[in-house]
Amino acid sequence: MTGSPTISVRSVHKSFGTVEALAGVDLEVAEGEIFGLVGPNGAGKTTLIRALVGALRPEDGEITVLGLNPRRDRYEIRGRLGYMPQTPALYEDLSAFVNVRFFAAAHLRNRAAEKARAALDFIDLADRADDPVHTLSGGMKQRVSLACALAHEPDLLFLDEPTAGIDPQLREAFWTGFRRLAAGGRTMVVSTHQMSEALECDRVAIMRAGRVLVAEDPRALLGRGRATIRVWQEGRAEETVVDDYSVDLPRLLAGRDRVDRVEIDRETLEDIVLRMIDDDAARSA
Amino acid sequence: MMLLAPHRTKALAGRVLRQLRADPRFVAVSLIIPLVITFLLKVFFDAIDVPMFDQTRFAVPGAAFIVHFVTYILTALVLVRERVGGTMERMFINGYRQLEIIGGYLGAYTVLATWQSFLILTWVALLFDLGYSIGAYVQIYLVIWLLAVLSMALGILVSNFARTEGQVIPFIPLIVVPSIFLSGMIVAVEDLPTWGQVLARFTPLFYANDVLQGIISGGTVLDTLNPFIALPLLTVGILFIASRTLREGT
Repeated sequence: MTGSPTISVRSVHKSFGTVEALAGVDLEVAEGEIFGLVGPNGAGKTTLIRALVGALRPEDGEITVLGLNPRRDRYEIRGRLGYMPQTPALYEDLSAFVNVRFFAAAHLRNRAAEKARAALDFIDLADRADDPVHTLSGGMKQRVSLACALAHEPDLLFLDEPTAGIDPQLREAFWTGFRRLAAGGRTMVVSTHQMSEALECDRVAIMRAGRVLVAEDPRALLGRGRATIRVWQEGRAEETVVDDYSVDLPRLLAGRDRVDRVEIDRETLEDIVLRMIDDDAARSA
Repeated sequence: MMLLAPHRTKALAGRVLRQLRADPRFVAVSLIIPLVITFLLKVFFDAIDVPMFDQTRFAVPGAAFIVHFVTYILTALVLVRERVGGTMERMFINGYRQLEIIGGYLGAYTVLATWQSFLILTWVALLFDLGYSIGAYVQIYLVIWLLAVLSMALGILVSNFARTEGQVIPFIPLIVVPSIFLSGMIVAVEDLPTWGQVLARFTPLFYANDVLQGIISGGTVLDTLNPFIALPLLTVGILFIASRTLREGT
């Protein structure tokens, strides 16, 4: 990573009573990245995002967002970040437009209405803008919540499980929108427990039990995946699990007279992530 | 001193007023319930068969107590609902500040309190056939209105200590019981033990009742200036504490 990171997290700890939600988190996010936080429920993704937006104060460690401390310098920083919480957190008795305009008005003295309409256009909900939120479906409420985070055109977006509970078609539409936002220069931190969404990110941090197990390009993670090689000879299969099949396959085939067929099952990203999480859990036990 | 933005306070007050418009049931409860309770009070007083019992001595302070109680509870519940629904945290993260949130709510609910005070005073005047002068009614209205605003401030303060709507419930007797027994409405404060007289000074209704009794006895607010001024001063004090205890996060 060249230049100062947009987000820097150093040895951050946060506990709620006896539960250690963040157990020494270290990571960096560069400008313009779509950075994923992937992990099972209880991994610490939401707690980390809330710490990054200044909603909670870690007990230990240091967080820097856009060169500022998100808690201490919150009044300077909040106009530059947008936050979509895990639950929609909307005023159900008011319309989508009024909700978005209200949250935009915190930053925009005069143009809140105009920006609210633009945000609702972006999430393709302009035709329902004037309907009360309680009349909208769960997926539509998620979209309104996203519009609330976008309306004031922040530099940084923090989206906590934005695609939870929505159908695959809408999920694809969301990620298309996220890619457009990133292409426009925004830095995004997106949490998900859907491993398949990790490939949409430039880099991902795999989290478990309040720690980051690894943070890298998901395509590089895929390259680290194991493969199961099945070599069929005379109706019988010999199965071997290897770390790098491009290296091990020639060795496995060497010296064999006749091979009926070769099957290679590569670990998916989900398999790799689950294996890492299970290995970590076993080490901690 | 953090920089406050009037446009944010205005946006918040506007949003709360829109919510009130969108919830006619809540508005009806706020306006009609005090009138119903006052009617029940009249029925109760009419049933008291005691010579020399002067209902009018209790009518206006009784109405003030009802406004105090209803406003306090409704304000506390509405703010706790914001916290439970996650919109309080969302407001903070979007840049709204403690004083702006408090100011916005106070501004919006003062509109409700203005109507509430007017309706209940009109109702009490008709129900108990009070026959005071116009000047007396204006002063009584002002006291009830100030008490309503103070009650909102108290509701905001209490909501800071409740994480759920259920946690507001124990705060009800904490406010209501002292209001009834220590305000001087039923028993003169001078007749209470010393500790009761001290505690009475922490009861908003103590000051309101003192001023109201002066007015209905033929005096003016100028005759009870200290307790009259205590009402807005207490409001400012409570709002200051509320702004310091309205926590952003954990």
